[in-house]
Amino acid sequence: MSAAARQRDFASIVAEVRPQAERLIAQYPHSRSALLPILHAFQNVEGWVSPEAMDATAQWLEVPLSVVESTASFYTLFFRRPVGKYMLQPCRNLSCLIDGADEIMAYFRRKLGIGHLQTSGDGLFSYEEVECLAACDRAPCMQVNLEFVYDLTKEKVDAMLEAMRGGTYEVPPLPQSTPPGGDWHLGADHGKKSSGAQGVSDPNDPGGMGDPSGLRMIERLAHDRIPIEARPTSERLIREGAARLAAGLREKHED
Amino acid sequence: MPVVKVLTDGIGELDLRDLDVYRSRGGYEQWKRAVTTMQPAEIVDLTAKSGLRGRGGAGFPTGRKWQFLPNNSRPRYMVCNCDEAEPGTFKDHMLLEETPHQVLEGMLIGTYAIGSKHAFIYIRGEFKRGHRVFTEALAQARAAGLVGANLFGTPTSIEVTVHRGAGAYICGEETALLNSLEGRRGEPRLKPPFPAVKGLYGEPTVVNNVETLATLPHILKNGPEWFARVGPQRSPGYKIVSVSGHVRKPANYEIPLGTTLRALLEIAAGPREGRKIVAVQPGGGSSACLFEEHLDLSYDFDTMAANGTMLGSGAVVFFDDTTDFVKAAYALVRFFAHESCGQCTPCREGGHWLAITLERILAGGGLDSDVDMLVSVSHQMTGLNLCPLGDSIEPFLASVVKRFEAQFRAYVGKSQVSVAV
Repeated sequence: MSAAARQRDFASIVAEVRPQAERLIAQYPHSRSALLPILHAFQNVEGWVSPEAMDATAQWLEVPLSVVESTASFYTLFFRRPVGKYMLQPCRNLSCLIDGADEIMAYFRRKLGIGHLQTSGDGLFSYEEVECLAACDRAPCMQVNLEFVYDLTKEKVDAMLEAMRGGTYEVPPLPQSTPPGGDWHLGADHGKKSSGAQGVSDPNDPGGMGDPSGLRMIERLAHDRIPIEARPTSERLIREGAARLAAGLREKHED
Repeated sequence: MPVVKVLTDGIGELDLRDLDVYRSRGGYEQWKRAVTTMQPAEIVDLTAKSGLRGRGGAGFPTGRKWQFLPNNSRPRYMVCNCDEAEPGTFKDHMLLEETPHQVLEGMLIGTYAIGSKHAFIYIRGEFKRGHRVFTEALAQARAAGLVGANLFGTPTSIEVTVHRGAGAYICGEETALLNSLEGRRGEPRLKPPFPAVKGLYGEPTVVNNVETLATLPHILKNGPEWFARVGPQRSPGYKIVSVSGHVRKPANYEIPLGTTLRALLEIAAGPREGRKIVAVQPGGGSSACLFEEHLDLSYDFDTMAANGTMLGSGAVVFFDDTTDFVKAAYALVRFFAHESCGQCTPCREGGHWLAITLERILAGGGLDSDVDMLVSVSHQMTGLNLCPLGDSIEPFLASVVKRFEAQFRAYVGKSQVSVAV
């Protein structure tokens, strides 16, 4: 999508979210409390939380963009990259695990051909193994676009994926304002707050931990960092900051 | 068997989401009675007398929590904590979706009791349906004049705001929840000051669990003695227990506290055919395991604490003799590592490296010393963090390593790599 088209598109998204945002802000004694609700509103319309959405939120709430980005990055339900039409999230926690969740997860991976935090090539499925969903009485369970599916079996998974491919699945697909890429996981900060955590514990390659020397871990620590060009928001921040600095200097010079 | 129907009454039989159905069964009568005939202090007193202890995890006496509020004229807030995410717990999820008016009525009574005019409910981000259901219930209640200005013709006004989280277990910790509600990262605050003194927007605030608040209409209706009489003296009342794992009928069961774990197992229809229960985690992912010899213990706050574990949120997971406790430990350690907010080094790094160590053990590359390291690292993490999350790995991990050490050693024994020392 060209930048101009994207901008036009975003204007219509803003037109839809703006009145909601005003209502949301009015519900709280302090406007900043509306930060999460506004990001939810954007994600409902866009299918993800784009850098432009965070920018608009920052302006409406009169907080720096860095505040919105830092807050959004803390929460795993805000997708800061475009995702597929169906967000598949099976539970990997204790009660599901002892009730066969590992088999269900392995089956999903095999059927979808993708792993944790990845999107299928056709843009239909994004996949994430998540923590306890508070439905342990009907394990193994999962969410599809945040709607619950209980008592999972391989047959149920087959039927679900078929219905999604055929466009007949009961849960509506997520809006697709931007085509998704392969990885929607912003490795450097999605749900992980530990600098040491990066690139070490790769859930798509658990066998990779088998090297007892620890060398492999260190190797990953050093090399699997996310390249700077893959971080659009940080890069934009730097560029923005540089532009503001230049403008400030010019102003000063003209004084 | 002592299953009771108090908070769960009508669930699964009636559509309690409908205001008329809820009201036809006496719903909102206690709310009306509170506003029109009772002083807030009376309700605080009554709640303290009932002995009700918080149902979210910490088990703190609710009445006493309210009494900590300073006696000043600053604005104050009531926050209902519906960020239920403790592994194994699914009671608030049920209450929210099945009986939202009962939750709302409890919230309103609690808000009135502490002299607040504004209540918030923080709903876990994943509970999309629950959020929808509660928002509709609130709209119905508002239209019926049960929420808003000049309630029942009195000067009392109460506003309620529904707030949705966005996927962070730590926001169930009350100060992290308040930060999140203020539009910040969900990082716990240093305590003191406690929320009762300095909470939401720096004002006096009470954070109560969904089930705690939903119990209030029943205490008002039946009197504090009715509640205080049930179960052990210092841990009285009814409690919804989320039973899952290797039982034939996993579900939420409402029981009098003081029921034995064995009775609870029978209520859930016992172990699967031909299997035997070898362990039970009695209070959510953060609690230490108990074992078959503990099944006759009374299930209440104090007995669990006296046995080195806790009642927590009331999530009981039973494990039979097919359980791989190395995988079970890994699932919980990975969970706490994933959910660490990252503020405190012992929790952020400790949890993460423990998860990696367990991955290495499971992958067959573990060292014999790794098993001992699991226990020592998790112990070293404990007590050094701002909030209890960093202390939550040790109880389960240490208890299962101690009991099922052979399972851990067997994985290490499979190692194909010999390490020269």
